[in-house]
Amino acid sequence: MAAFGSFVLLIALALAAYNLFAGAVALRLIATGQPARISPERLADTARRAGIAGFVAVTGAAFALVWLVFANDFSIAYIAEHSNRALPAAYKFAALWSGQEGSLLLWAWLLGAYGFVLRLLHKTDVKLYAYAGTILAGVQVFFLTLVNFVAPPFSLLRGAIPDDGNGLNPLLQYPEMVIHPPMLYLGYVGFTVPFAFALGALMMRYPGEKWIKITRSWTLVTWLFLTMGIFLGMHWAYAVLGWGGYWGWDPVENASFMPWLTGTAFLHSVMMQERKGMMKSWNVWLIFSTFALSILGTLLTRGGLVSSVHAFAQSSIGNWFVAFLVIVLAVCIFTYVLQRSHLQSEQRLESLVSRESSFLFNNLVLLAACFVILWGTLFPILSEYVQGTKVTVGAPFYNRVAVPIGLFLLFLTGVGPLLPWRSTSLRAVRRNFVIPSIALWGTLIVCLVAGVKPWHDGSFDAGNFYALVAFGLSAGVFTAILSEYLRGANVIRKQTRRNLFSAMYLLIRRNTRRYGGYLIHIGVVIVVVGLAGSAFNRNSESELTLNSTMSVGPYTLKCVGFTQDSNLNYNSEYALLDVYRGGKKQFQMTPEKRVYLASQQPQTMVAIHSVPGWDLYVVYEGTNPDTGNPIIKAFLNPLVSWIWAGVIFIVLGTFVALTPNLAPATVALRVAAAQPSTAEAAVRGGD
Amino acid sequence: MTELQGVIAGAMLALALGIYTFWPENAFANQREKTRLDYLLERKEQLYENLRDLNFEHRAGKYPEEDFLTQRALLEDETAQLLAEIEHLQQA
Repeated sequence: MAAFGSFVLLIALALAAYNLFAGAVALRLIATGQPARISPERLADTARRAGIAGFVAVTGAAFALVWLVFANDFSIAYIAEHSNRALPAAYKFAALWSGQEGSLLLWAWLLGAYGFVLRLLHKTDVKLYAYAGTILAGVQVFFLTLVNFVAPPFSLLRGAIPDDGNGLNPLLQYPEMVIHPPMLYLGYVGFTVPFAFALGALMMRYPGEKWIKITRSWTLVTWLFLTMGIFLGMHWAYAVLGWGGYWGWDPVENASFMPWLTGTAFLHSVMMQERKGMMKSWNVWLIFSTFALSILGTLLTRGGLVSSVHAFAQSSIGNWFVAFLVIVLAVCIFTYVLQRSHLQSEQRLESLVSRESSFLFNNLVLLAACFVILWGTLFPILSEYVQGTKVTVGAPFYNRVAVPIGLFLLFLTGVGPLLPWRSTSLRAVRRNFVIPSIALWGTLIVCLVAGVKPWHDGSFDAGNFYALVAFGLSAGVFTAILSEYLRGANVIRKQTRRNLFSAMYLLIRRNTRRYGGYLIHIGVVIVVVGLAGSAFNRNSESELTLNSTMSVGPYTLKCVGFTQDSNLNYNSEYALLDVYRGGKKQFQMTPEKRVYLASQQPQTMVAIHSVPGWDLYVVYEGTNPDTGNPIIKAFLNPLVSWIWAGVIFIVLGTFVALTPNLAPATVALRVAAAQPSTAEAAVRGGD
Repeated sequence: MTELQGVIAGAMLALALGIYTFWPENAFANQREKTRLDYLLERKEQLYENLRDLNFEHRAGKYPEEDFLTQRALLEDETAQLLAEIEHLQQA
């Protein structure tokens, strides 16, 4: 099976190379109109089919690797390193991406899968898809070169074949790890598709903005995968790493966040290009940057460039990625310089008080956040290169800069929907802002009365201050979005005499992109409320003897036993803790510590009891070597579950935004195009 | 699966993929060059959508009357110019 895997990987590389070469030649022939012995359209079609065939070949290689993992074939170095006999089946799948070679194969397979769908849909716009498919093939050639010659997953183990493998990294032996990396990779890899469309559209000087409509679903789906990947990673860090938090500004976390920021900026600003033909250069560079940051993310995760708890596979492969990044940027710059005359804006920004300007600010803020994070992530590398000493940039730096930026972004999330397109008067703005402002100030007052004060023992408390601002802004933004739904639903209600809920449904169906987007914004508000809760985290640590207790917040934890267990994969020890509140026993928690047999590595399994107001988060830190008693650390983390609830809204909103609109209730298309005055009649029918 | 069997299976797959890729096919998708008229027709749809949005936002109370009338006049003017160019190209 290893020979089969290696062989089909070579075939896949040959097919990708043919796809790139034949596709480029065919497109050149079509563009220049030069005569050729073979029809360029036919040549382009063979290139497209080579892309489809390449996906089948990479699928064969991925299948072969998974097969070998399940067959416990430890003659393969990768499998001996990342799997073992007792590993549960779900985690055997995870072995595919737990190491460098496997994760590069996963990259190539996912890119092949995206390309497969793209090439099947080529009739949507044959020429544009041919350009996009050829660019995808170029990226695929790079990854397949890596898995064939630099990090081959089917390499044989040197020396004696062991009876059992080293096992999967214990940090990865957690249910979310079966879906978090593929989600993240679907996001990283997926941004190759809008990148390829944007670069292709620029190369061919695509007339109009229809390519944006064509790529909208691709971009949204990719963005959703990356969003889910990031939040699943946060939940994994929260539940597995045992430090009580979910985001540590680790370089690899940052690496996933940066393309998300630029991708989010692109999703917003591209609407201006679609509607008004504005910001074309900006958008092209946003999607170029997003792709480059995705490659940088893969480099940081897999290239050994930075130290991170998440960088599971490190090696000197970084040089290849750096070279690839340089080539990608060179191609982007060259194409942009050559075709920049095609990217002239058709209109200018009419007013600072408009939806357009709010998008522009939103973009600037998102890019500022991205730059700060990029700077903080790369600073240790740059400082080592320049000064010879590695200067670590920690969470305080990011929090000091990113939290105010994030709050300003939240503010813009509320302001944007209230501003109409083009321009409006300040009087109208004031009128639209009255109710959200009341909600904002009302919430601030309620919070202050409830004891959320930005000072503590006479000194300024930045955490509380930011939390207070976050709660106030969240209330304002939520009200602004709700008022948008109600305003729209009321118009429909008056037009169609439906009840409010039915009108709301019709409103959303008529403009799924806008109202799905608002649902995503509500999700973001809920997430921010959850994040703000971290300002009020509490914790307590204690060595517990039998029947002794410790307290955190309203809870009392009583140790009623500690015991040990073992299975084929790991040995574990855990404490049995009865949890009391108000003198009454509520439930029992069992924080655990495992030692995995194959790797002899320890791993914490946190016990979490989650309610809407807070999480009780209990860690078994081990035993005191002198007394043998367990050491327990308990956290009370307010509002954490709001973060995960917010993600549900974001996912729902994205699905709504992906749903096609109902046709507008007009007779627009029946109006004779030659009569300008009929344009008004065409649109009067409603939205 | 032995090494030889693996290579044979891989070679058979390669042959199948090669046949699929290079099979002479006359019914491949083709497309005429996009013209200025195509672009204008797409743009017309977008302008109608912008006008519908403007009307809807006005009804939802986001625009005062005078702002709405100004904006609508601007958009209608843009649409009229576009429709005139479409008509000109269609007659040419």
